[in-house]
Amino acid sequence: MRGILLAKFTTFIRNPWVFLLFTVMSIGFTLIIGYTGGNGEKITVPVAGAEEVRTGSIGKALEGNEVYHFKWQEEADMKEIVRLGEAEAGIIMEEAGYEMFIRVETPNVQLIEQTIADIYTEKIRESQVLELFQGETAAEEKAFLTAYHEAMDQPLFEITNDNFRNADSYQFDQGLHAIFGFTLFFVIYTIGYNVLPILTEKKEGIWDRMILSPLKKWEIYLANLVYSFFEGYLQIIIIFSVFHYFVGVDFYGELAGILLIMLAYTFTIVSLGIFVTALVKNIQQFNAVLPIISVSMAMIGGAFWPLEVVQSDILLALSKINPLTYGMEALNNLVLYNLPFEEILMPVSILILMGVIFMGVGIHLMEKRHI
Amino acid sequence: MLELIDITKKYKQTKAVKNMNMYIEKGEIVGLLGPNGAGKSTAISILSSLLEPTSGDVKFRNKSMIKNPKSLRQIIGIVPQEIALYEDLSAEENMKFFGRIYRLKGEKLKNKISEVLEQIGLADRRKDVVKTFSGGMKRRLNIGVAMLHDPEILIMDEPTVGIDPQSRNYILQTVKRLNKERQMTVLYTSHYMEEVEYLCDRIYIMDKGNLIASGTKDEIKQILASENTIYLKADYWNESFITKLQEKPQIHQMKVEGNEIVLVVSKDVAIFSKLAHLAEETSVQLRAVDVKQVTLEDVFLHLTGRALRD
Repeated sequence: MRGILLAKFTTFIRNPWVFLLFTVMSIGFTLIIGYTGGNGEKITVPVAGAEEVRTGSIGKALEGNEVYHFKWQEEADMKEIVRLGEAEAGIIMEEAGYEMFIRVETPNVQLIEQTIADIYTEKIRESQVLELFQGETAAEEKAFLTAYHEAMDQPLFEITNDNFRNADSYQFDQGLHAIFGFTLFFVIYTIGYNVLPILTEKKEGIWDRMILSPLKKWEIYLANLVYSFFEGYLQIIIIFSVFHYFVGVDFYGELAGILLIMLAYTFTIVSLGIFVTALVKNIQQFNAVLPIISVSMAMIGGAFWPLEVVQSDILLALSKINPLTYGMEALNNLVLYNLPFEEILMPVSILILMGVIFMGVGIHLMEKRHI
Repeated sequence: MLELIDITKKYKQTKAVKNMNMYIEKGEIVGLLGPNGAGKSTAISILSSLLEPTSGDVKFRNKSMIKNPKSLRQIIGIVPQEIALYEDLSAEENMKFFGRIYRLKGEKLKNKISEVLEQIGLADRRKDVVKTFSGGMKRRLNIGVAMLHDPEILIMDEPTVGIDPQSRNYILQTVKRLNKERQMTVLYTSHYMEEVEYLCDRIYIMDKGNLIASGTKDEIKQILASENTIYLKADYWNESFITKLQEKPQIHQMKVEGNEIVLVVSKDVAIFSKLAHLAEETSVQLRAVDVKQVTLEDVFLHLTGRALRD
């Protein structure tokens, strides 16, 4: 077994190009899709208003908004921008209220309106609190407001309404999703092309030589599986390390957990590779089938877009038999939702079960068909 | 030493090998001759315990090897039809790999590699990566790795396919030398009858899964002892000449290959005058008429009505 591994590693060192290609592609696509091109930027909303509104509490509240970039414009310019469709909506801000100009009714416009309404609600609340305080000087009122804001930042108790698991809403981090999705997608190719040599070695007679030697058959399979697993897992480690140490993604401190989950995913994909290799008759068929399987898995399993946006019952049903779905689910449960251990163990267990089934059926078929 | 007894191998509805009987004695070079698809590779896969037969038995030193082939596997070296090597590794690394799987190590492995590389004429290319080798060199290394563990029986499945004549000669001489110097038993399959004729003490001829002849070269050629093989040459043949030749009862076999016709005819028949007359009658200008020694190719033609490379 050591001999096989040594030969495989030497071959890998001499010819690492496929591995490097898929690693670079995975990193490249993630950077392009996840970390550039406006997805991480705020949505710009044109607003107009008098100077005292801009510099007052309303202006400060708009400036501090984390989702939207409210850009001050002259009223005429704001209306022109909305008319030309360069923005979905524009707003005239006044001390007493606001007026919205809407180009098209979208969910985003509703959210903008909600944001503005919240600002005015807060302003009204402040005024009511000040009325109750009945301060005598402006300095007193200012000190009171500061104390009020501090108290609001540290409430006695907090009511949180997390509803990301219901059907209408979910948490989404474009950057993390791209890292998870593309890593899980491209590693299918890396592992697939590492399992493929089993087929070529069988065809060319290298396996016959090994079978006639004192090597046990399980040693031959195990060496091949260990090697494929190693290369797939190495790619995953490299990709996550690049994003963690060079791009600065902190994975909410869960890098070790991610790599543990990836052990199960890598095992399942190696097993899937064995299963596919057992089904096809030759290398040409494998080369044709692998992209179909990997792209379908990525699309159905939520690698390219969150599974929560998929409406089709058929696609959702198909996603249940897709290892990539469970890989993404386990990663999201850990990193994005910070769910308890049992919620991560479930998809990981399904992955391992799938791996065992794929491996068992795959090796059985290979042996039966003498390929 | 090693025998196939009533071996049949069936794939779904196709019988690749039908009731085959065959034996190999120690120190022999036995040839298995047949066209592509005759069932040679299936037969040697069964013989080397890589494939289980549908029925029949494989015996090595009178013990069945079907269920427990370990003792057989220890003493055979196999040279597959394909180049069964790692292309990204050097000759020496390939040898190390295949040596290690036979549990060879240390000085013993090192010495063995040097010895075999010397035998196959690749000692000066030992550090070169296999993918830079010519087809002939790859074939030689393919043979070399099968010899590392000093097998008693070397099973070679068409080891000279697709290589130049010099490399082919080198391989044939190497096989002959191994047999002579080390009494290595060799089972050599080929569809090149001249190779089998040059190398082998005994020959089995297969066609469509059947063993159609066996024996020493002379014994097999005796099949055609009462017949002559006549080669006719002309610039072109016409339909009428060929049709009339086919109608002649004295001609047992006939094959047209370009501007040459090969005929197998009874020795006691005076055919020349008839051929000359027929050529004149059908306006065919004969350029040469040649009677040749019987070859295995002629025997195959006689037995199957086809040439080996059809």
